[in-house]
Parts: sequence; structure tokens; C-alpha cells
Amino acid sequence: MGEIFDINAVFTSIPRLLEVLPVSLQITVISMIVGLVFALLFAVIRMKKIPVLSQLVTVFISFIRGTPIIVQLYLTYNGIPLLLKFINQEYGTDYNINAVPAMLFVLVTFAFNEAAYNSETIRAALQSVNKGQIEAAESLGMTYLQVLKRVIMPQALVVAIPPLGNALIGLLKGTSLAFVAGVIEMTAKGKIISGSNFRFFEVYLALAIIYWVMTIIIEQLLRYMERRFSIPDSAQAVNRGGWFSWGRRGI
Amino acid sequence: MIKVSNLSKSFHGNLILDDLSVEIEKGDVVALIGSSGAGKSTFLRALNCLEQADKGVLDLEGFKVDFSTITNKQRLELRKQTAMVFQHFNLFQHRTALDNVKEGLKIVKKMNDREAAQIALEQLEQVGLSDRAHYYPKHLSGGQQQRVGIARALAMKPKLLLLDEPTSALDPELVGEVLQTIKKTAATGQTMILVSHEMSFVYEVASKVLFLDKGKIVEEGTPDQVFNHPTSERAKEFLHNYFRNKTGNQ
Repeated sequence: MGEIFDINAVFTSIPRLLEVLPVSLQITVISMIVGLVFALLFAVIRMKKIPVLSQLVTVFISFIRGTPIIVQLYLTYNGIPLLLKFINQEYGTDYNINAVPAMLFVLVTFAFNEAAYNSETIRAALQSVNKGQIEAAESLGMTYLQVLKRVIMPQALVVAIPPLGNALIGLLKGTSLAFVAGVIEMTAKGKIISGSNFRFFEVYLALAIIYWVMTIIIEQLLRYMERRFSIPDSAQAVNRGGWFSWGRRGI
Repeated sequence: MIKVSNLSKSFHGNLILDDLSVEIEKGDVVALIGSSGAGKSTFLRALNCLEQADKGVLDLEGFKVDFSTITNKQRLELRKQTAMVFQHFNLFQHRTALDNVKEGLKIVKKMNDREAAQIALEQLEQVGLSDRAHYYPKHLSGGQQQRVGIARALAMKPKLLLLDEPTSALDPELVGEVLQTIKKTAATGQTMILVSHEMSFVYEVASKVLFLDKGKIVEEGTPDQVFNHPTSERAKEFLHNYFRNKTGNQ
């Protein structure tokens, strides 16, 4: 313990931190997917200007954007038990408040947070699709859902990937707040490790490296997706490489 | 036989279509002419509900719809029986020429991929673009894009083809190839309504010409009747101006 900086402590904490990497990834992936589904729903509600729902969504988005995520975590962490208590009282049910897994609070909070932010991104992307193409699809006899799936979404996706990618990276780093709801993810684990070996700087440095590397991997994946979904730049590329049309099949 | 009766539409209090009635025989090529704002495009777009008409009845070879009470199901059915070619082509930018033509066959007509590809290739062949089947729209010229647009519409085997100023957005050099394609389509007996400013082409290809002004049909007849012997003052004036400008430009 005599050294000022112990490089070994960095390397030894990396595998211990990685033990809970799946927890961080689980929060990220599940929240993102659930969040995107709701984001799309919110975006369509607002685009179609469905009465009542549209206003509710607007207020909800404003609230999520106007409050810190840590406060939102505290609200769900304390609010869901209250809600269950209320349900138990009103309907005579017997839900065990303590049996609610901490993970659920975290997932609910992050998913709705992502939904609120991403719904604006998705709305802008959906509206960027040329109206003439939508009319062309309608004139062929497609239903709105078919137009959405076949014409609007594939093109909106290309526009939405970069901002949604940023949101994904932000989410991964945001999972470090999950400890306030009692979930042991990487940052919480880092606190625990450094609390026992007192190598605070070294452990947090290891933690920082892991987040950084994860972010770089996500960036590469996004770059690949962007390339795959966009229209090739030259007609020659289309003729030479059949892989473009192969890669684009199914969307 | 296609019958449009009492079609009306107003927009912000302006009457765009004023109680229009038209009868079209199978195989007819009906051309709509008139100045901008006369309601030509609106008329065309009302027929497949891209524009919702206020009232009017359409009888499409026995399939009847009343626009004032049209249901969602009827609207889809109507669109399945008609097809449209747009001024700005409106090809799906993320799909190749072939996939553009296949789209309606697969998604609306529920054909399997092989069947759809076969028909789509035949259609592209018809418009002379089988060698461009795997090109994306942005790699095609305007004229080629519009020919893909025509192939996409014809692949659906529509009872009525609607062409909304199909050459207006094209470079003068590329107009000819699209007009040739339309002429070839007309020769197959395809019933169509064409909105166009290409008067000499209209004269050549149309079996019936309607001159629209302020949402009304003011002149109706064969190309010879409308162009050479117009009876209404408005049509005389329009044609006079058109041909004067035409010769003035040359």
C-alpha cells in the first residue's frame, strides 16, 4: 500500500468489475428496446394528433425532460411501493411490496426516460420521409401500417440512427445511477471494491476504461448499421457488390 | 365503363371541383387540359382518394363508391383498382427499380417473391429498363425514374391509370422517352386519365379531351373538336395563348 499509484490495482479490479457488466448491459439493452417501442408509439400519437393521448404524451415528455434522472429514479423507487400499497388497500389484494425487484424500478425509469427523449428524435425522422413516397405507397393500396413499415420506417431509420446511437451511449453511462435504487451494476461494484482496498483512483480508472471501451464498441456497431442501411453512393457499387442488396433484405 | 358523377370539392371555402361528371369508355385515353389551378390534379387525386372529395360518386366498371360516405375498406379497394403516376415520380428511394415495381405486388397483392419479381421484370422490360433493374432511383435519370414509376403503376394491372403531369418535372430532352412509354401503354388498351401540358402529345394520343376551368368542364370532345373547333371563349383564349407562346419560344 506504499505506492502512490498502484497499476496492479487497476488490472485486478477490471475482471471484478466485468463480473457485473451483464447487469449494466441488461439495463441498457432492455431499457433501450422498451423505450424505443414506447417512443415510436408516442411519436405516432403526436403525429396523428390523437386527442387526449397526444396532450398526455406532451406533458409526460416535458416532465421527463424537465427533471433529473436521479430524481426520477427516486420517484419510481418510492412511488411504485406507494402505488402497490394503494392497490392493496383499495382492492383488497396482497401484493408484497418488498418482493418487487430493485431492477424493475431501474428498468421502468430508464425505459420511460429513453421513450420521452427518443420520441422526439423518432418523430423528426418519421416526418423527414418525403410525402410523395407516402402518397405513392397509399396509391398502391397499402394500409397506414404497411406504409409505416415498408416506406416510412426504413428511411426514417437511416436518419434516426446517429441520434439514437448517442442516446444509447448516454444510456449506458446513465446506468451508473442505478445504485440509488439498490442495483449492483459496475459503478456500484466499483464503490464496493474501492471501499475494501482503498485504491479509489485505481478502481475508478478501471471503471472509466471499461465504459470507454464499451462506448467505442457501440460506436463501431452504429457505424456499421448506418452503412448497411443507407443507399450506396454509386451505381457501380450496386452492380459490383451484391452484398448491398443482400444486407438490405428484410427491411 | 367508368362513370364519375357530380364530383365536388372545396378547400378553405374555394370551390376546386364544381359538380364534375365524366363518362369514360374502357380503353379511352382521357386528357385533362387547362390552366394551373383549374382543378386538373385535384380531380385526378380525388379519384383515388389522395384528396378527399366532398361529394360525388364513382362507378369503376361496376365497383361503386360514394365519396361522401366512403369507408376505409372501400378506399383501399379503390386504390387497388387504380394506379397513379406522379409528377415527381415518387419512387421509394431505399429500394431498387425492381423492388419499387415489386412492392405493390408483394405487399398489396400478396404475391410471393418469385411471382412478383417475374412480373416486375416484365414490366421493366416493357418500359425499356430491364438493364437498370438493380439501380437505386438516385442513380437513374429523371426520365428513367418516371418510366420505373409507370412500370410500378402498370404492374398492378389497374382498371384505370392516373397520370398527373408525368413529364412536367423532366428536362426537355427526357420528355420524349416518357411520352413514348405512355403512348405504348395507350396502345395496349389501358384506360387512362392524363393531366398534361404537352398539347401536341395530347392531340396525338388522347381519344377524349376535357378542358377544365375553375373546377368545371367547359369543353369536351375529341382532340380535333377541342383543339381545332373550340366553342367556349375560355378554351379559345387558353389555346390561343398556348400556341402563341409555343411559336414565340421557337
